[in-house]
Amino acid sequence: MSEPLAAPALGRKGRFRRRGTLAAGVFLLGAFVVLALGAPLIAPYDPIAQDATARLQGPSWLHPFGTDNFGRDIFSRVIWGTRIDLKIAVIGVIFPFLIGTTLGTVAGFFGGIVDAIFMRLVDVILAFPFLVLMLSIIAILGPGLASFYIAMALVGWVSYARLIRAQMLVLKNHDYAVAAVSLGFSRMRIMFRHLLPNAAAGSVVFAMSDAVLVLLNGAAISYLGLGVQPPVAEWGVMVAEGQAFVTTAWWITLFPGLAIVTLAFAFSMIGDGLADLFGVHE
Amino acid sequence: MLRSKWMRIGLVTVMTSLSLGATLAEAAGVLTIGRREDSTTFDPIKTAQNIDLWVFANVYDVLIRVDKTGTKLEPGLAESWEVSPDGLTYTLKLRDAKFSDGSDLTADDVVFSLTRIRDDEGSLWADPFKVMDTVEATDPKTVTIKLKQATAPFLATLAFPIASVLSKKGFETLGPEKYAETPIGSGAFTITEWRRGDRVILAKNPHFWEADRVSLDGVEWISVPDDNTRMLNVQAGQLDTAIFVPFSRVAELQKDSNLTVHLDPSTREDHLLINHEHGALAKKEVRQALDMAIDEQAVVDTVTFGYGEVANSYVPKGALYYYADNLKRPYDPEKAKQMLADAGASDLTLNYVVRAGDEIVEQTAVLLQQQLAKAGVTVHIQKVDPSQEWDMLVAGDYDICVNYWTNDILDPDQKTTFVLGHDANMNYMTRYNNEKVKELVAAARIEMDPAKREQMYTDLQKMAKEDVNWIDLYYSPFINVSRNNIENFYQNPLGRFFLEDVVKN
Repeated sequence: MSEPLAAPALGRKGRFRRRGTLAAGVFLLGAFVVLALGAPLIAPYDPIAQDATARLQGPSWLHPFGTDNFGRDIFSRVIWGTRIDLKIAVIGVIFPFLIGTTLGTVAGFFGGIVDAIFMRLVDVILAFPFLVLMLSIIAILGPGLASFYIAMALVGWVSYARLIRAQMLVLKNHDYAVAAVSLGFSRMRIMFRHLLPNAAAGSVVFAMSDAVLVLLNGAAISYLGLGVQPPVAEWGVMVAEGQAFVTTAWWITLFPGLAIVTLAFAFSMIGDGLADLFGVHE
Repeated sequence: MLRSKWMRIGLVTVMTSLSLGATLAEAAGVLTIGRREDSTTFDPIKTAQNIDLWVFANVYDVLIRVDKTGTKLEPGLAESWEVSPDGLTYTLKLRDAKFSDGSDLTADDVVFSLTRIRDDEGSLWADPFKVMDTVEATDPKTVTIKLKQATAPFLATLAFPIASVLSKKGFETLGPEKYAETPIGSGAFTITEWRRGDRVILAKNPHFWEADRVSLDGVEWISVPDDNTRMLNVQAGQLDTAIFVPFSRVAELQKDSNLTVHLDPSTREDHLLINHEHGALAKKEVRQALDMAIDEQAVVDTVTFGYGEVANSYVPKGALYYYADNLKRPYDPEKAKQMLADAGASDLTLNYVVRAGDEIVEQTAVLLQQQLAKAGVTVHIQKVDPSQEWDMLVAGDYDICVNYWTNDILDPDQKTTFVLGHDANMNYMTRYNNEKVKELVAAARIEMDPAKREQMYTDLQKMAKEDVNWIDLYYSPFINVSRNNIENFYQNPLGRFFLEDVVKN
């Protein structure tokens, strides 16, 4: 997860395939965004309304994805869950991205003591298993999505920082960077105006594949009861709640599970496509 | 080539797993029982958990036993007993019994075991035995117990698995730690091996005084934490029986012609704890309104799939002195809303602490949240780790929380003291406070006339319901499943398995 996606040198045919991948990914993600925004219009039922007369019903025309043990419509819950899960993926990536990119840029550009301090901090965080550290932070802050975002930001930035730093170390010795220095531009300007745009491509690609991991982490945290609190519909929670019925009412678990896989797939295709577009190579 | 290699590997795997399954199921006369957790100790005074009690109840014998109905006492190691007219002196005559190592069980062992519960520093159960003034071995087969004051539930307390008779000599030879792992008991079975975290392996005790009654060669209590896996193991014949069958699986398992699902009456009662010290919850009218805002029948239908029954008292249905005509407040969210408004608690917001990972508790929470919303009560669900939950309850860091209780002894005194009697635990963490109730609990404990006692417990049940010490939700059975070749697999309402009667065909 700490390496950017590699795009091997491709012929014309391969390049087209990559563009196709990007388009398909964007289309899928767009579909999820539409579902999230239009949830109140698209979802046929209230996602938290219980109906004692329609418990544990299999998929039908009335309930395309069936109902759960409270008689709640799974289809509507999956649609409403899109809002939460998209939010998790986006917020869970943006903050680590911003923090990691800033710190990585500074560390890579200045080097020396600044670099040493930041990189030792990264080493410390990387020394802990990712999920264990997340869980401890959430345990301290208390369950809930806000804690999840904070924990993500505190732990997730290290990958971005390492990525950008490595790029900066190379770029700052390029001719145009040396030229900028000799022209007397300020360090801030050189760092963020000249170097960062050239260094960020790899991070953007990585962010896409990271979104998949964040999404799965969010689902895992909610599954453990530390993320989204009931009765809110979230895919990870739905999978967890359906587990008890997996042999008798498989649809409770299957459909939210499929939704997670599909969204992850969309992010991953976009990441693949971007890698090619930016020409990010190992 | 590659393909055939993979096929061979596949074939070997299939055959190995088949033969493994076969060895598990066909070990003659050994009953396998699947359950969630493994035991933690075999020292009776150092545990309060059913996962321990249910296993050592078949390893140790007790002086007085509870019968299969869970309502009557019958002779155990004591073949007879006498109580003096003032209710202070108990004289127990021991039968000829032996420990699993072949040594005789004598009055000295009984004296050692009972005083140890009372006096050992690590004993979790000292309180109910502090009423004992002296315990003496009058002769090798007679034990005389003198009480500080007459206590109605004392015989029932002696039938508690905690009061198991240990071997004094064995305990002194092995030491407490070793004894807690491989104890010497006088029950139907004895421990041959305990693989911690995995299984407890028991063999028939040839020295058991009722050895003729035991048909099994042995019993294995196997830990299979995942409910789905455990049920599949029974269905596939890898386990003979499984306990803790989830409500959601009962109907499906009943359809399997190889299995018998047992719904044995239990003393389990699930209830909603209320923190009486928190704001509006101190008002009786508010608590009554909450009771009316909760549709217990819907909980029974949704959470227990109809296998439970709405509770109307803290005393379990069928238990001693259960008052069947106790008030059951009708479900009426509109009236509840009105009552809350009258009490000045229209915008009531409650913090509902939920034990994460417990399917039943989580489902109940989702249901109650919606029901209470109809009465205008906002409920915030706060999922916490089980260990954290207990600390929060003790610290009073909650408004409402679902919990349950199963009786350990057949007398209602134990639970009543714990729940209403102002015991050391703040009335089961509710901080419920009623001096009149407290006095009646103490009086009922020493009342020796059964008719008067019954009346006192009836009054207590009415008073608890009036005050809404907590909200009674439902009673539910013990649900176990066994394969059809297993006979007499039964659990009594206090949770004891009668493995001495089980037959494996």
